[in-house]
Amino acid sequence: MMDAGRHPNIELLTLSEVTRVDGGAGDFLITVRRHPRGVFEDLCTGCGDCAQACPVVVPNEFDLGLGARKAIYSPFSQAVPNVYVIDCQNCLNGDFIVCENCSRQCERDAIDYDMTPEDVVLQVGSIIVATGLDVFDPYLMKTYGYSLSPNILTGLEFERLLNASGPTKGHVIRPTDGKIPKKIAFVQCVGARGENDCLYCSRFCCMNSVKDAMLAKDHEPDVEEITIFYSDIRASGKGYEELYNRSRQFPYIKYFRGKPSKIIEEPGTRDLILYVEDTLTGKPERIRADLVVLASAGRPPGGTERLAKVLGIKLNSDGYFQNRGEDGQFLSSTREGIYLCGCARGPEDIPDSVAQGTGAAAEAGKHLAEDRLPEVEEEIPQISTDGPPRIGVFLCHCGINIAGVLDIDHLQEYAKNIPHVVHVQDDLFLCSDGGQKEIQKMIVEKGLNRVVAAACTPRTHEPIFRESCARVGFNPYLFEMVNVRDQCSWVHSLEPDFANQKAHDLLRMACARAQWLQPLRVKKIGMQPETLVIGGGMAGIQSTLDLKAQGFTVHLVEKEKGLGGRLRDLHRLYPEGRLARELLQEKLGQLKASGVNVLTKTEVTDVKGYVGNFEVITTKGTFKVGSIILAAGADVYRPQREYGYGKMSNVLTNLELEGILARQESEIKIKGQGVKRVAFIQCVGSRDPEKNPACSRFCCPTTVKQAIALREKGVDVAVFYRDMRMVGHGAEEMYQKVRGMGVLFIRVPDAEKPKILGKKLAQGVEAFDSMLGEKVEVEVDAVVLAAGMVPREPDMTRLQEMLKVPRSPDRFFMERHPKLGPVETTTEGIFLAGCIQGPKDLADTMAQAAAAAGKATTLVCKETIALEPTVCEVDEMLCRGCGKCVAICQFNAPELVERSPGIFVSKINEALCKGCGTCAAWCPTEAISAKHFTDRQITSMIESLFQEVA
Amino acid sequence: MAQKKIKKNGFHPKIVAFACNWCSYAGADNAGVNRIQYSPHFRVIRTMCSGRVKPGFILKAFQLGADGVLVSGCHFGDCHYIFGNERAVELFEKTKKMIRLLGLEEKRLRLEWISAAEGTRWGQIIDEFVDEVTQLGPSPLVSEKTK
Ligand SMILES: Cc1cc2nc3c(=O)[nH]c(=O)nc-3n(C[C@H](O)[C@H](O)[C@H](O)COP(=O)(O)OP(=O)(O)OC[C@H]3O[C@@H](n4cnc5c(N)ncnc54)[C@H](O)[C@@H]3O)c2cc1C
Ligand code: SF4
Ligand code: SF4
Ligand code: FES
Repeated sequence: MMDAGRHPNIELLTLSEVTRVDGGAGDFLITVRRHPRGVFEDLCTGCGDCAQACPVVVPNEFDLGLGARKAIYSPFSQAVPNVYVIDCQNCLNGDFIVCENCSRQCERDAIDYDMTPEDVVLQVGSIIVATGLDVFDPYLMKTYGYSLSPNILTGLEFERLLNASGPTKGHVIRPTDGKIPKKIAFVQCVGARGENDCLYCSRFCCMNSVKDAMLAKDHEPDVEEITIFYSDIRASGKGYEELYNRSRQFPYIKYFRGKPSKIIEEPGTRDLILYVEDTLTGKPERIRADLVVLASAGRPPGGTERLAKVLGIKLNSDGYFQNRGEDGQFLSSTREGIYLCGCARGPEDIPDSVAQGTGAAAEAGKHLAEDRLPEVEEEIPQISTDGPPRIGVFLCHCGINIAGVLDIDHLQEYAKNIPHVVHVQDDLFLCSDGGQKEIQKMIVEKGLNRVVAAACTPRTHEPIFRESCARVGFNPYLFEMVNVRDQCSWVHSLEPDFANQKAHDLLRMACARAQWLQPLRVKKIGMQPETLVIGGGMAGIQSTLDLKAQGFTVHLVEKEKGLGGRLRDLHRLYPEGRLARELLQEKLGQLKASGVNVLTKTEVTDVKGYVGNFEVITTKGTFKVGSIILAAGADVYRPQREYGYGKMSNVLTNLELEGILARQESEIKIKGQGVKRVAFIQCVGSRDPEKNPACSRFCCPTTVKQAIALREKGVDVAVFYRDMRMVGHGAEEMYQKVRGMGVLFIRVPDAEKPKILGKKLAQGVEAFDSMLGEKVEVEVDAVVLAAGMVPREPDMTRLQEMLKVPRSPDRFFMERHPKLGPVETTTEGIFLAGCIQGPKDLADTMAQAAAAAGKATTLVCKETIALEPTVCEVDEMLCRGCGKCVAICQFNAPELVERSPGIFVSKINEALCKGCGTCAAWCPTEAISAKHFTDRQITSMIESLFQEVA
Repeated sequence: MAQKKIKKNGFHPKIVAFACNWCSYAGADNAGVNRIQYSPHFRVIRTMCSGRVKPGFILKAFQLGADGVLVSGCHFGDCHYIFGNERAVELFEKTKKMIRLLGLEEKRLRLEWISAAEGTRWGQIIDEFVDEVTQLGPSPLVSEKTK
């Protein structure tokens, strides 16, 4: 959020609503209504003095009414922009009463009660809708008594209890008596999957409850039992099944298959009684809990319909924005130039939402290719900062935020005695224009070569001060900040003496560090404007098309004869039912028209270089590119003689069935034999703690899709499953459809696999039906194994060796961060798209492909890339070439190079180094220095802490 | 919040707290935004990652008179540099052994993971640690020096 707030090309319009859209893709005119905030954004410093003065206390909606706030408030503690807002509904000030407590208190005169709504018109090339979702309000559900008992919470409310900054400071308590609940019950699928007019599965709630159950016990060790009432646990996302398995090992977490029919609060004890039938035993039970959490499903947020009308786009049957999945455009709305991402399309988890967000940005960029903002840069003559340190100290009052606790006059006197300090000055608001100008003036006037500011936190304000230093040619890395507000005056206001002492120490330490600061310069390296995509499946094709549409040169490398990857083997695609071949032809047509360089029957043999300057050697020549997208897909698991595969000719995989369906004969035939009865066995090669604990995610919906196709040809179908994980848009709806078509679903226990009966041919399947509680036998003509996805070998190993991209525990390639960087790798300039990162369906594959293209675009659109100078550097004289740093670094930055025959030293590539300084901590000879955080700089702080000034 | 115990003869410990820029330092800022009140008897040194904190820094602090040292970083899986915090644990364990050799109580050195949103937790941990070090009294290295 902070990055977005600070970005020079991003303008944040909060408290605003789009009211009108004119024009079309590439040239929209949108009218935005800005609601009055009552506070000037450019004046407010977010100090909160106004809120302390405000006499009105109302429930805080961010804490879902569990906590309180004032009528002038900051929506939540990390809000961006960090500016207060007046809640007109509750503010007392008006025609009849004059309160004005807050405006009197505000030192910056930032409050204006008479602001009126304002309309602004913006000209934009494209629009992205990212309106997210609300959660279903169980208030109206009579059966669960949410409105009657305060001890029933929604999942979101429970999250606030768990949050250390929430209303209970992270304590899990029962709202009625403030006691720690001994027994907690989570009820899944509330308002979802066929309940309360909602067909779909909300996707995030299973994992949220699994996680919250574990956290609840972490926060309150006194919690004794947590029961999760579920229908299927849908742990299908990268690493989710593994987390679910871990939760099952805790004796205090119990999974109970069944959905309570009603929940009643017991008068007196205020405990909750859940009436529920155990679907595994068929027994009705009454279960007592101290606290109930309803895992409430997602709902389209209020105002979605209005927004759809304003934007002129359609909604789908679930009430979310409709995407054009049937054309393989999962991030496009029904109107050209308007894109969708995250939960605006329907419920999603965070990794997928982030990938879609990046993807939507890439798609939106197509309409802007010609208007890309050039990077303007002015050369400012640098002023000399050589010679002995001359430190200037600037002390900020921050209104009364700092000065109300710290004695600034005394601090000023104190500062004058700190070694090397030649100038001390205070300011009411140092970050105001005036304050910054003072710093600039003093740098020149007093010949300062170090600047120390004692103010708020460097995390938000260091960039601002650095920038104003740089404007007068003062090297910004000679600026140092002391946090005497967020980490001193604000948190020790009850002990002002100690707060003052602490401020003295911190200032002294900062000055000690300042004298050792070195001027650093941002270096620029050239950027090859081209991208290479490895793998020509749907992911590779989509990334290529997106990059090309933005006007960049792309090379697509595919090792097979033809493009399309997995799609060539498939029949129809869920959920739209589109023929895979048709969709592929369409995309190939677009690819041809775009005129990109496609190299089939080509393999990559080596990769050298780094971001901006990769050299990729292939069997058809060498390419110099700035970025690389990995889209080499995944393999389908090949059963190792399990379930008679390979021995019995009528046992086949889901992939093989696709081929049979693709022939589109009127009758299903396997090896020439007509087939009337088919059994599916789920989770083959997946969810197996020994071989592959992960869930493959696509096989449940694929089975349902295939079952529908078989039923339509009159074939009887039975499905042996553990949980039906219908993840993805339209999947749950498909599941409900197939259940109406007379398909037999047989739930089997995790540990007891079904058995195939028969010798040369499979004739039946025997399994323990955990719903009936007995063994069942189904006669079959064929068995289909729902095989999962596995990393593609030996391709993955070879690519890993060349690119040094790490793998996750599931052996797929690892993303930089599941939530913050789902398509990036740890190597700058190398991105992931599609199943190479983990099993997924086409919609998720394509969203990721667009995201990877988007990430590549942000690189290759620049002529040069600026390298942050705060990296590590090796002193070759001290390095003895032990290679410790090479082993430690996650980013492959250090490398051993041969300086003279047999003598190796480490060299850190500044384009790859992220500046964490971990290697510097490990280097046995102290040969590595972490710039801006050198040993000298840090130890000088420690030394000065224990060295009072005379 | 942890109850504050009575201080031993008005002794206030000197504690150095290393905080990584992305999580724990941000968590300490968050404590400020939420105006959480906690013990002032510690001084923060910011590093980019907890992985930067080398044994030398910690030992230096103890040698010069620190009564306690806190190393803090992001929770596992959240480190801005992926595994920096896991590396920090390895160095921390080594350092722990070294301070034992110096004759210091292990409790004087502590490692904690605090996220950017856990301002309250930051305050709690500082309070707890200050209490604990106060109970232990001045560092034996300091009393030796002043003898
Ligand atoms: C049986 C089955 C049914 C499915 N049904 C559906 C469905 O109905 N709906 C749906 O949405 N999804 C479905 N999926 C999932 C869908 O197929 C995938 O999400 C999608 O095709 C993945 O695309 P990809 O580009 O990531 O990988 P792939 O399609 O596997 O493409 C990877 C490409 O990279 C090439 N390659 C590999 N290594 C190299 C190398 N070293 N150098 C150069 N090239 C290389 C490969 O030859 C291949 O062409 C199904 C999957 C299976 C197995
Ligand atoms: S069949 Fe596939 S999607 Fe379904 S639960 Fe098993 S591994 Fe997951
Ligand atoms: S500072 Fe971090 S990123 Fe840079 S070389 Fe050292 S370990 Fe690698
Ligand atoms: S960045 Fe916080 S521990 Fe590495």
